[in-house]
Amino acid sequence: MAVYDRRYRAYEGPLTPVSTRWRVLPRHAWTGVFKSRLFVGFFTLCFAWPIAAAVWIYLHYNLAALANVGLDNVQLAAVEAPFFAAFMGVQCFALGGVMTLLVGPGLVSPDLANGGLPLYLSRPLTRTGYTLGKLFTLAALISLITWIPGLILFLLQAWLAGWEWFVSHLWLGVAIVGGAIIWIVTISLLALATSALAKRKVIGQTFLLGVIIFGTVAGQAVNEMFGTRLGFLFNLPALMQSVWAALYRIDMPTMMSAPVALATLLAICGLSIGVLSRKLRAFEVVK
Amino acid sequence: MIVFDNISKFYGEVLGVNRITLSIGPGITSLVGPNGSGKTTLMNLVTGLLLPTRGRLSVLGIAPDRPELLMKKVGYCTQYDSFPPGLTGYEFVQATLALHGLTAADARTKAGQAIAKVGLQEAAGRRVAGYSKGMRQRIRLAQAIAHDPEVVVLDEPLNGLDPMARAETIALFQALAKEGRYVLLSSHILHEVDLLSDRVVLVHHGYVVAEGDIPGVRDEIHERPAQVLLRCDRPSLVASRIFELDSAVEIKIHEDGKGLLVHTRDAEKFYLLVNRLVLEHGLDLEAVSPADEDVQAVYRYLIEGEGPSS
Repeated sequence: MAVYDRRYRAYEGPLTPVSTRWRVLPRHAWTGVFKSRLFVGFFTLCFAWPIAAAVWIYLHYNLAALANVGLDNVQLAAVEAPFFAAFMGVQCFALGGVMTLLVGPGLVSPDLANGGLPLYLSRPLTRTGYTLGKLFTLAALISLITWIPGLILFLLQAWLAGWEWFVSHLWLGVAIVGGAIIWIVTISLLALATSALAKRKVIGQTFLLGVIIFGTVAGQAVNEMFGTRLGFLFNLPALMQSVWAALYRIDMPTMMSAPVALATLLAICGLSIGVLSRKLRAFEVVK
Repeated sequence: MIVFDNISKFYGEVLGVNRITLSIGPGITSLVGPNGSGKTTLMNLVTGLLLPTRGRLSVLGIAPDRPELLMKKVGYCTQYDSFPPGLTGYEFVQATLALHGLTAADARTKAGQAIAKVGLQEAAGRRVAGYSKGMRQRIRLAQAIAHDPEVVVLDEPLNGLDPMARAETIALFQALAKEGRYVLLSSHILHEVDLLSDRVVLVHHGYVVAEGDIPGVRDEIHERPAQVLLRCDRPSLVASRIFELDSAVEIKIHEDGKGLLVHTRDAEKFYLLVNRLVLEHGLDLEAVSPADEDVQAVYRYLIEGEGPSS
């Protein structure tokens, strides 16, 4: 048997806190995402509507500016809850949805398809840390185009309308941030779960789109066949609409009460976490 | 030491490994066995990717369910081919070091050093996606050793390497072992296992069927007569004397009349006899070497259940 001297020295330098290690994952994922020209173009486009909304709010308090360009008798709609709900609806459901389809299904599937998980998990990084890192990658990108510009617009409106408006509309700020976060967490977890199930980005994208569309169609079919409203529990847009109607305190047609819708969304999140917990393992058993 | 104390791992009803009791010291230890024998399960247990169903495992005194402590000491090079998209080799190693908690400055330095050790400096600035199979294997090795682990676990590390890179990589393993590190690797390339290993662990159907240094393992296989190759000027003389020993089983004289292959149950007695023949009869001895004291033979005896071809 060979006899060896112990001559090497292990790394003894400073270490970053364990709780922050997962941030390495989104940092590198974003580098990859922003290398796509298609994505950069889409991401830039996502700020067109917030800029337009900001101009709208500004003009609302500066009608003189409109007069300067020959628009004397223009009546701009009030900047209240319906205005913000409409703005956030476009940003969250349309643009946020497309962003989820572009980024979400490619986050986990390549690691699973190529057996890359042991590479990550043989570090001081838990499965929870890995999932959190991947979730944050998508959630932060959607946040940048949803509640962050929404909150900026809210603060712009408050600045122009005055302190009294701000204090009396604090609930609206909470609705903008809270409503968006409920959507972001739900859709991000759903995207990660479909990505983990599909193992291929394109299949994951189709699967995610299918879950949303099929859920809506299947829910409608259940309602028609059994003369019930339970089918709306499979309808993600209807669920979000019910929650948002309550948050934004606006009168719009809803299919169920906000607590029922919120509980269903929580169940979807729980189901997605269950799928991730089952699929994100560093090993695979071939039976 | 890496200590497996009656370790079993089941994946539901599927057996991973069963009742493994094993102590692994510094140096190069090779896990050898057919596909699905449990090699990767053993490696995943050492790296904490799997927790045992039964038994106790300790890696340098650390339980594998404590990744923060364990991963300071362990580096793992998996056999899979997955890298974060868009990263260069240098960025990849740097990112894995950041996951270990190294500061940005230290990660840069250590990444550079590890890449130099695997001889990939020229390609370090290129994207991993454009690497050849051998380069990918080397960058995986770099990430496994970059944080200076005391235990390096390498799953099929020689796969995909060309002969030159293979030789350099084996030299790297030997250098790591000389520093007193624990190098635990699995390989299907048995003659290379023979060359580089201090000891082997033969795994079959989830059980360890033998462990130790190759000659030691071979000695323990009593039911298989040892085979010794002998080159000399008078093989017929040697053959006639060997049959006087009750331990001789079979003798084959080479066609050129200059050598013979002896199957014997007691190799020690045979070696003594050869010494005597040299002294008493002036036998001109060219070479004496064991013909089945290698991993390949041991593997065949214990796992495939056949004798080596002579």
